[in-house]
Amino acid sequence: MLKKNIIRILASISVVLLMTNTTFAEVIEVSFVYVGKSDHSALLGAQQGIEEANLQGQFLNQKYNLEVISPSDIATFDFSNYIAVLTAVDIDTFTLLSEKLPNVPVFNLTIDDDNLRTSCIKNALNVIPSKQMKQDAIKQWLKKTPESHATAHAWHPDFVKFAARDLNKRFKKTHNVEMDDFSWAGWAAVKMTSDTVARTNFTDQTKILDYLKTKLLFDGQKGSDMNFRETGQLRQPILLVEDKKIVAEAPIRGIAKPPTLDSLGALSCKK
Amino acid sequence: MKLYLAPLLLLFTFNATAAELTGRIFVTNERSNTVSVISSSTLDVEATIDIGERPRGIGLSPDGSELYVAVSEENKIKVVDPSSLKILREFDAGSDPETFAVHPNGNIYISNEDDAKASVFNPKTGEQVAAIQVGLEPEGVAISPDGKRVIVTSESTNMLHVIKAPENIIESNILVGSRPRAATFTQAGNIAYATAEISGEVVKVDVDSGKILKIGSTGDSKSKPKDVVLSKDESTIYVAGGRANKVVVMDADTLEIIKGIPVGKRVWGLAISKDGKRIFTTDGVSGTVSVIDTEQNEVIKTINVGEFPWGVIIND
Repeated sequence: MLKKNIIRILASISVVLLMTNTTFAEVIEVSFVYVGKSDHSALLGAQQGIEEANLQGQFLNQKYNLEVISPSDIATFDFSNYIAVLTAVDIDTFTLLSEKLPNVPVFNLTIDDDNLRTSCIKNALNVIPSKQMKQDAIKQWLKKTPESHATAHAWHPDFVKFAARDLNKRFKKTHNVEMDDFSWAGWAAVKMTSDTVARTNFTDQTKILDYLKTKLLFDGQKGSDMNFRETGQLRQPILLVEDKKIVAEAPIRGIAKPPTLDSLGALSCKK
Repeated sequence: MKLYLAPLLLLFTFNATAAELTGRIFVTNERSNTVSVISSSTLDVEATIDIGERPRGIGLSPDGSELYVAVSEENKIKVVDPSSLKILREFDAGSDPETFAVHPNGNIYISNEDDAKASVFNPKTGEQVAAIQVGLEPEGVAISPDGKRVIVTSESTNMLHVIKAPENIIESNILVGSRPRAATFTQAGNIAYATAEISGEVVKVDVDSGKILKIGSTGDSKSKPKDVVLSKDESTIYVAGGRANKVVVMDADTLEIIKGIPVGKRVWGLAISKDGKRIFTTDGVSGTVSVIDTEQNEVIKTINVGEFPWGVIIND
């Protein structure tokens, strides 16, 4: 009886071992690091992105983690084991970070400063729209509706088209708040990176950075496929919001010149 | 005596079934909360059924005697008699039921967009038979003619999940272009075609190996492909081109574009008749159904239906 049980136990242990072995051999585990305040909405978006990346990862044997650090930890933190850095910091901290980590994708989730785009920092990936993109979107809209007081946004919780409804619903279900521009940017940065890892199995920061800058076709749930300009700015539609309602999406049809996403914001680097 | 009776009985059954098929074309109107009923002989709308809030996916039982409609906002599937057009019964179909396909065994495989799940229902009892965890925003569902495999597309996870049926086990996950929407199998079931909306692609996959065989582009940037059907001889695929306002005809082997057939605005759903001669499209923004003659690959009639026609199926 005892012998039988021991054999049974041994058999089950070996089965477990066998399973873990095969699983371990194929799993890719990668981590992001977020730099910023822990109560910033950009972090909620990044967390949403990680959750969704892991949902995808379960089918591909990939696992995604997110580390959160404060800007005051930058000097002492070892960034070498992270595939990308997500930031919700001020412009000086961002510049410092991107210079400190020249081969690592450093995502800007919050700053709309135009110089940050035209200075063309090689590894800076600006997911949030620039000031000029938003201004151009408003200008296009005003040509059609001179009376409007619309403001320009990357995202809106009432956005429903292009499966935006689904993303808003998922986000609210998890975080119990509505998705704003910064949380969309946090989500988008993680999603485009995890999509890259899913497609390429890359875990090397430099290779991921190169793929993001040159081969990306990202579905940001705003209808168009998105990629980065030479300036490191993500091409994307801009939502125009008036009285808390979406009134239009830029580029505005019939007004935008060229009639593409490149009618919004600076296209080239400052010489 | 028994020997004589058997073939006779078979004949009788066949006849009875054939007689029940109405030939009608059924269309869900997402905004009007109705189903338009189109006569196959006149190609006119002969009736409109009030079905419930936000009807989308539509399908038929294997014998064609029952029509199923996914009523998304009510989280239900409603069962309609295609002859009398009466709603016979309804059952809960999980959260936000959207697209579904009917298995040869009669069960319904449905994508539950909000739950990252595909559910299997027995429409006779309304019972849920199984739930399969898939990727985010599951959308398209296709079932091989022999019933051995099901493909569910998950839009946000960019995958085709190949599911073994009736075991309901995921066999492979095929990573494709952004936002895969719809899929269709060949008669043999070993090859499938799927559309990827954002990347504007059609992908041809080997179902057994779970590998991509070929990727084709649907052309201009406005062309965000939605539904896909295969011609009867399987030499051609027809792809609903979304805002390109055309149906893109592609060579099923090379995935090269043969022709674009202009239809209404934001063409979304497609259905091909059993004889392969006609394709019906739902043109969402125009509120029309276009009828394509597949010999000429031209529209022979445009039919006004409700607001935002979504799904279409033929009771043939």
